[in-house]
Amino acid sequence: MGLKDKYAIVGVGYTPQGRVPDRTALSFHVEAISNAIKDAGLRREEVDGLICYRHFPPLGGEPDVTPYLVAQHAGLVPRVISQEANCARSQLLNAMGWLDAGLCNYVVISYAHNPLSGGRSFGQRTDNYTKAVFGQFGATSGYAMAARRAMHTFHTGPDTWKHIAVGQRKWANLNPVAVMNDHTMTYEDYFSSRWVVEPLRLFDNCLVTDGGRAYIVTSVERAKALQHPVVTVMGIGQHNPALEIEQATNMAGPTGARLSGETAFAMAGITLDDIDACEIYDCFTYTVEITLQDYGFFKPGEGESWFEGGTIEPGGRMPVNTSGGQLSEAYFMGLTQITEATMQLMGRCGERQLGLQTNTKKPEIILCSDNGGILQTHSTVILRRL
Amino acid sequence: MDVSYQKPLPQPNADDRFFWDGCKKHTLLFQKCRNCGLVRWPPSIICPVCYSQDTEVIEASGKGKIYTYAIYHQVYHQGFRDEVPYVTAVIELEEGPHFLSNIVGCEPDNVECDIPVEVVWEDITPEFSLPKFKPVL
Ligand SMILES: [Zn+2]
Repeated sequence: MGLKDKYAIVGVGYTPQGRVPDRTALSFHVEAISNAIKDAGLRREEVDGLICYRHFPPLGGEPDVTPYLVAQHAGLVPRVISQEANCARSQLLNAMGWLDAGLCNYVVISYAHNPLSGGRSFGQRTDNYTKAVFGQFGATSGYAMAARRAMHTFHTGPDTWKHIAVGQRKWANLNPVAVMNDHTMTYEDYFSSRWVVEPLRLFDNCLVTDGGRAYIVTSVERAKALQHPVVTVMGIGQHNPALEIEQATNMAGPTGARLSGETAFAMAGITLDDIDACEIYDCFTYTVEITLQDYGFFKPGEGESWFEGGTIEPGGRMPVNTSGGQLSEAYFMGLTQITEATMQLMGRCGERQLGLQTNTKKPEIILCSDNGGILQTHSTVILRRL
Repeated sequence: MDVSYQKPLPQPNADDRFFWDGCKKHTLLFQKCRNCGLVRWPPSIICPVCYSQDTEVIEASGKGKIYTYAIYHQVYHQGFRDEVPYVTAVIELEEGPHFLSNIVGCEPDNVECDIPVEVVWEDITPEFSLPKFKPVL
């Protein structure tokens, strides 16, 4: 397929993350964007595409974060701009399309939010009254329903998910910017965390994070002229089952990960055996299990034994979510995964760097996933160091 | 009827007003495609399978089984403060549609996927009644 290894990620932008009071969402966007542009070694005048990944209603007193307002504050005059309103998770595919159409040379993709200090969660919306009248709120309940149906369909449950929560926490303990860097987690800690919406406990839930993240996409030719090792998009796929959880019948698999993964692997021309590590969208522990299962790492119900023995941890045979992920590093939707994979492939991850120092394979190819809604949208990205 | 009802209320729209009008009479009404026979929820102007707009409204039996469920321990809305732990569930109705509701008349720990349930009506205000479901013993 025509897009294999044609486009590359050339810069990553971070901001302070965690509980960061007295900061607007807009300020995180522009800080992440400016850091990504500096990290790539570009001038802002060269960046001609902007995608703001996900729109959230502004907090009281804050401006609505439109992509044109972000462009203004970041000093950008892009040829093309856009913003995802909800959870389509197609930002990288869109950026590659603009590049492939010859409309842009460098596209910056940014995510930013201030829900923690702003006292805002994903759970309080009552805009869908057909759910709210019965007390159904937030994302945890939807994934709880998916996880419950999975428990009814194949062997899974907290004894499987504890490996994900604890394994990712061990990565976070190696990552100085991870929100949970200073907090270890044992299986006992996992089981003693409170129920949020059963069968999901607090430690099955991702973090709520103030902060932002951004990265820059360009052609491989341009990437070769820049300062970092070249990290290309080897394969990309999407699939969107689309049904609300209240109507879905694929919540125990196959989710969108199946066809999305097949599409990305076909483009890359590789198999699971070629994957050195995974950065899997982890809004909840169950999401990690079902995604890896649908990608084919193990058969339905065999997750617990696959995870057992530290498979995904430092030193494990298939490292997963090496920054701590959204469960233990920070929640920036799919940008947590893509940026961590990029940094690992560039060899810039310090104490948590895959390779000799974490007793893992030096990574050449990393598999990333992103999904939105309640398993309604799915994106797969395979990155490699050229 | 509780005049100080603190939970969110239905806000019927042009697509689903017939459903809530039915609930008020303790009838569970769904659209059925006259072309292919699909009974659908949520309501829509077209059948998502065959695109026919030829639609009739049928009364469902109110019987079904629990497809999946969730037990709320966290309070997301003050109207539910005194109800935790409560159960939301997806009911697979005999006629086909999956419908989100609550499981009542049963301890949360006794709820299971695939157990049979039937509708019970809760009159929440003079205008609205909610279809909820209880296990059939
Ligand atoms: Zn039809």
